[in-house]
Amino acid sequence: MLWLLLALPIPALAGIEKTSGVPPSLLSRYQSPGSDSASWSCLNGSKSIPWSAVNDDYCDCPDGSDEPGTGACPNSMFYCRNEGHIGSLIPSTRVGDGLCEPECCDGSDERSGLCPNICKEVGEAYQKQQEAERKVRRTGSKIRAMYIAHARKEKNRLEGQITVAEAEIAVREKEVARLKDIADTAESLSEAAMEHKKESPLYKSLIEHSLALQSLQREHKQHLEREKALGDILDALRLGYNPNYQDMAVLEAVRGWEALAGLPHINDVRKEEGSTQSEGAVAQQEEEELEEGMWSTEQLDKELDKLLATDYDTLLIEHDKHIGAPAHDSLLFNLTAYMPDAFLPQYLALRDTVVSWLETFGIAKGIDGDESSDTSAARKAYQDAENTLKSVKKDLDKAQNELERLFDPEWYGPEGEWKKLDGTCLTKDTGEYTYEVCLFGEAKQKPNKGGSFQSLGKFTHWNNAPGVEPGSPEYYGKQHYERGSKCWNGPQRSVTVLMSCGTENALFTVAEPEKCEYQLTMTSPALCLPLSESEALRDEL
Amino acid sequence: MRAFSSLLLLAILPTSLAVKSQDFKTCSQAGFCRRGRALSARAQESQSWRSPYSVDPSSIAVSPEQASFVAAVKSSLYPDVKFSLDVRVHDDGVVRVRMDEVDGLRKRYDEAASWALIAEPTISPDVKWAVGKKELRATYGPKKDIEVVVSYDPLTVTLYRGGKPQVVLNGRGLLHMEHFRTKAASEEKAPVEAPAEDSQVVMQVNNRAWFEGEEEDGFWEEKFGSWTDSKPKGPESLFIDITFPKHGHVYGIPQHATNLDLPTTTGDDAHFSDPYRLFNADVFEYNADSPMSLYGSIPFMHAHSTESTVAIFNAVASESWIDIGHSSATSTETHWMSESGILDVFIMPGPTPTDVFAQYSRLTGAPALPAHWALAYHQCRWNYISSDDVREVQKRFDEEDMPVDVFWLDIEYAEEHKYFIWDKKTFPDPVDMSHDVEAIGRKMVVIIDPHLKRTEDYPVYKEAKDLDVLVKTPGGENNYEGWCWSGSSAWIDFFNPGSWDWWTSLFKTEPGETWSWTESTVDTYIWNDMNEPSIFNGPEISMPRDNIHHGGWEHRDVHNINGMLLHNLTAQAVMMRTDPPRRPFVLTRSFYAGSQRFGAMWTGDNLGTWEHMTAGVKMVLANNVGGFSFAGSDVGGFFGNPEPEMLVRWYGVGIFSPFFRAHAHIDTKRREPYLLDEPYKSILRSFLRLRYSLLPVWYTAFRETSVTGLPVLRPHWVMFPKDEGGFSLDDQYFVGSSGLLVKPITQKGVTETSVYLPEDQVYYDYFTYEAYRGAPKGKSVTVPAALDKVPFLIRGGSIVPTRERPRRSSVLMKHDPFTLRVALDTKGTAKGELYLDDGETFSHRDGKFIWREFVAGKQNKGLLIRSTDLAAQKPGEAVNGVALPTYNGANEFANDMATVRVERVVVFGLSAKPKSVQGGGKELHWEYTPGVASNTKKQGTASVLVIKDPGVGVSSDWEIVVQV
Repeated sequence: MLWLLLALPIPALAGIEKTSGVPPSLLSRYQSPGSDSASWSCLNGSKSIPWSAVNDDYCDCPDGSDEPGTGACPNSMFYCRNEGHIGSLIPSTRVGDGLCEPECCDGSDERSGLCPNICKEVGEAYQKQQEAERKVRRTGSKIRAMYIAHARKEKNRLEGQITVAEAEIAVREKEVARLKDIADTAESLSEAAMEHKKESPLYKSLIEHSLALQSLQREHKQHLEREKALGDILDALRLGYNPNYQDMAVLEAVRGWEALAGLPHINDVRKEEGSTQSEGAVAQQEEEELEEGMWSTEQLDKELDKLLATDYDTLLIEHDKHIGAPAHDSLLFNLTAYMPDAFLPQYLALRDTVVSWLETFGIAKGIDGDESSDTSAARKAYQDAENTLKSVKKDLDKAQNELERLFDPEWYGPEGEWKKLDGTCLTKDTGEYTYEVCLFGEAKQKPNKGGSFQSLGKFTHWNNAPGVEPGSPEYYGKQHYERGSKCWNGPQRSVTVLMSCGTENALFTVAEPEKCEYQLTMTSPALCLPLSESEALRDEL
Repeated sequence: MRAFSSLLLLAILPTSLAVKSQDFKTCSQAGFCRRGRALSARAQESQSWRSPYSVDPSSIAVSPEQASFVAAVKSSLYPDVKFSLDVRVHDDGVVRVRMDEVDGLRKRYDEAASWALIAEPTISPDVKWAVGKKELRATYGPKKDIEVVVSYDPLTVTLYRGGKPQVVLNGRGLLHMEHFRTKAASEEKAPVEAPAEDSQVVMQVNNRAWFEGEEEDGFWEEKFGSWTDSKPKGPESLFIDITFPKHGHVYGIPQHATNLDLPTTTGDDAHFSDPYRLFNADVFEYNADSPMSLYGSIPFMHAHSTESTVAIFNAVASESWIDIGHSSATSTETHWMSESGILDVFIMPGPTPTDVFAQYSRLTGAPALPAHWALAYHQCRWNYISSDDVREVQKRFDEEDMPVDVFWLDIEYAEEHKYFIWDKKTFPDPVDMSHDVEAIGRKMVVIIDPHLKRTEDYPVYKEAKDLDVLVKTPGGENNYEGWCWSGSSAWIDFFNPGSWDWWTSLFKTEPGETWSWTESTVDTYIWNDMNEPSIFNGPEISMPRDNIHHGGWEHRDVHNINGMLLHNLTAQAVMMRTDPPRRPFVLTRSFYAGSQRFGAMWTGDNLGTWEHMTAGVKMVLANNVGGFSFAGSDVGGFFGNPEPEMLVRWYGVGIFSPFFRAHAHIDTKRREPYLLDEPYKSILRSFLRLRYSLLPVWYTAFRETSVTGLPVLRPHWVMFPKDEGGFSLDDQYFVGSSGLLVKPITQKGVTETSVYLPEDQVYYDYFTYEAYRGAPKGKSVTVPAALDKVPFLIRGGSIVPTRERPRRSSVLMKHDPFTLRVALDTKGTAKGELYLDDGETFSHRDGKFIWREFVAGKQNKGLLIRSTDLAAQKPGEAVNGVALPTYNGANEFANDMATVRVERVVVFGLSAKPKSVQGGGKELHWEYTPGVASNTKKQGTASVLVIKDPGVGVSSDWEIVVQV
């Protein structure tokens, strides 16, 4: 029997309809030109072929358009009618591959008899799933509406805050201007005298010391920060390194750090299993004995700022007084000695006026008072006022900024639907770690066994993939948190939060598809758009 | 002395800038290698060097079969120590030379060959040794032109062909088998600091120093880094020089990252200062040009010249070092230094590369015919982190319509790296996950390493411990403990037969009486890594040499075989878990001669650099000529983040590698092909589709290697053994006998390249049909090589079968029609072949397959293209492992293929437009594009005839007549 079979020519897939696999929108292009041998044009016009070559299981057209119903042309699409469900296009690579595609429930992508038509069941299941999704969206969108309402309230609140602040600023600006005027005047009058005093080698040296001390303090602080950062890195290394890798350099580093910081060896700690929970406190370094008069670490920490804040000008005056220097050498009163005679009468008149004027404001006291130190008091009053102004302005900026972001598609969305969630923190316990995302804030990884958390980054932007428009639903499908703490042997940690509509704000999964790049999934009602009229109608039917 | 000191000088030069190269020994850090090189240096200095080893003529006993003899060998240095020599000629002309110490203090390891060989070779029934006064002689061969001569004093073994020496053993007198001795005796005899006046004593003590040197260098305990090798057996090294007096090129001895045509390690301008090392080791971030040892060792070396090809297989399992030098451009001297074991050398007489491959595969076995899907694309990463991750990766491939057959899981699937045990936090549903992958005709490959976490709640460890099949510490009392991925671990001793049935039982997917991997499927295949073995806290990241295996052998004796046993047993386990059995797929990192029988290998943890991409091509070629064709390197490079251009080029390498897998380190960015931007993504899609369209070619090539041993990737010297211009080429190669010539691009910014054409023949560009002309003595032509192209030519005279309908996986192509590309040669003829079977069972051994030959020849003025049944013509040569007496064309598989068509025939190089094209007596549809004819000297685009749907089946006999 077999020779018979072999001798016969093998037909290509026979009897395929010319319109098989053609989507409804293109049916008009697959009309018979009259006869099988009559010419038909490939859809892109690149070639003319006989009508018989359409759907003959051989790819004639460079654009693949002659084989809508077979797998002969790569990169073409096959249309499944899916009657009873929704029609769909599948790639030609799926046609005739022996698998029943779920997208093609009518089984038309395979030879007849292989795939049963399951469109009824598929259609029903699809409807059910759609209903369930709509239900979630309906509930979610109600919550979303509340978020939007919240944003409107926020708008009112912020606008009110801005109005108040602006008014306050206007008042305070006047006040500052007035105080500045006073301070400037006082200073300009005493400047020359002060300049002279400041020629004192003692004063100069004092200033030099002070500057040196300030610099030293700055350096010291930097070193402390650096040391802390290094300590944190080494702590992380010590707790987190994998002893299995047998990297001697890492082991050396850990042991060195343990010796320096007086910590027990981590492997011993691991073995003892938590018997030394607070290992940081195991070996506090002993306090050194201090020479008399020397400052303790605590003093340096707390009192040095105070010392450096000393008003040296005032001090200079006090110093003069202390060593019995003449009290009346203030330039304001002694300027006469240096004044060209021609100016004297006018000056003296002015001096008296100014001094008495100053006295009335309580800024400069009489000639027996500490007039120079009063000058800095005037300055202080002015500076305090200015600081208050700055702080009010800052509050205003903040409020204005918040208002701007409120309906900014790149922040809280065009309807402000995300504002409500600003600062909301969600957590997910994965066993070893608990992950926390404070929306629009920071994402963190906290070890459940204790120990310090790792920053996974701060909110930077929504989905900025090319082609995604700010304001589109896809745009709010992703949040990015970046520039977290740096991984050992890796990048700075970062997080992508994949978001979808759900009735509650919750984190669902945490994964680390690449080292130190985390991917979290979460749901939020803020993503639940209200049903369109037609969608809403579907449920009522 | 000059030669020696220059060697020393070379040895202290920084050998390379390789990362962590200090973790691995140089020759000068291995006592026996130091001794071997010193011996060689002394020989070179001496005017009157003469090997101390000689045959005792009175002891010669020729066996009744006549083709083998045994004889006693003596060393003039140690007259009391006895050695025996055993030389035999096999029925295929291979000569086996064995020498062992007899009645020694201990026994030398003599089982290496038994693990490598498929069977005890048959002794020739025809060859007779003639015992002469100075030598033994055996003459044989079809032309009686082969002669093997064993000279008595000094002992040498020489193979002659046509009166010319081809292979000489101990020709340079470097043979030395260090006999067993006690430490006390050794110390007694050690040269003492003699007083100057008593020179007599000094003379006496040093009467062996001319050969062995003044000192006992590293005889006993040796230190390397913080490790001490107790060496309780003392010195037992083996040195042998093997000279190829007529051969200027040597190839093989994988695995090394260097040129295919092995560069020299000795001589005035030696390329490397250290010898090639064979010591299976996990070398972190290995150097791309180095004689350092890597993960596997095949002590099989070809020697080649325009006159002949010969080869040797040195069946030794201990650490070995090989010096290579050319005293002239047409000769090669090699020196093999091994730490332990008997002398067991196989001399393959050739005379062609094809003969050598046949001879070698009769010894160690031809590569197994892999499952068809295993030749498709493998997607791996350390690590796909969850079952959902695997599903998502599969989804993305399908969305982008990129074919892929296999998804791989690295070590992180396993809870605490307890292999077989899923981490349920991330893989809660492993069987469902596998089924989701299998639904598209795909497979899973999951890693199983040989180290077992030492915790009682791990059934695999507990059972191995209870069965007492773990490797022991020195003394053999306690189980060895080392550190690996799973922390404190133990190693299964696969040399212990007690481990074998137990190991194979673990892979049963159906529950049984004992623990087995029921959370697995029969479409889940295995990856064996770290089987050198890699041990993080061991010397050279491996096992202490004084550890004890079954039978009391030290690890040093069996080290290079160790990895092959795991591979062997896992392959058996995978095969045996179903009834009827299915072809196994097991990837190994460590290997030895014979590993080709068990599955695939890859070149280990390469770097994402252009240098490593280049080295990978050479290493895969070296593995192919080492008899292990199913090889590949990690596409993209294991370490690093390749730029898009590099990644695209790397896929260009991968699609033309026998084993095609993308893999990446855990610290790298994801780089699955669908993640690239355009135009890179589309280029990768077209590359993947090209690989899939050529699967019939790959499968046909694998059938051939599984029967003949001829490699799947064929370097020029194998294809054109007389064309000297191709002897050193290792950046272009042929795929099987298909006539496809490929030169992957492994440099940045390339737009065109030079391809060497070795003959006066036309070669056609696979994509553009451009006809390139070679020349009788070879010629280089310039071929376009833009990023979307791999320079890829069809040799005139070839017919190439392909399947050009892209599918998601190779299984889904099973009933897709074929395209035949008929590339006419300068005479206007062409031929090719196609082998197909079910691709996964062993039913081909029962004759269920098709094997066709396509021939295009001149008929009158036109062309006749025919399909004939090769299986019916040569049933005995069709299938690996069985010689079928007949072939039934109506077998089950052929019937299944009966409706599979040839949908298109494309003919390149016709001289004129056809008048008609007919098949089955009917005029067929065809299109002709005029162009250059094959039989002219013109360059340019070839003429192309496309015959549409000739209505013929791929498994039937047919004829198509083209009338010109």
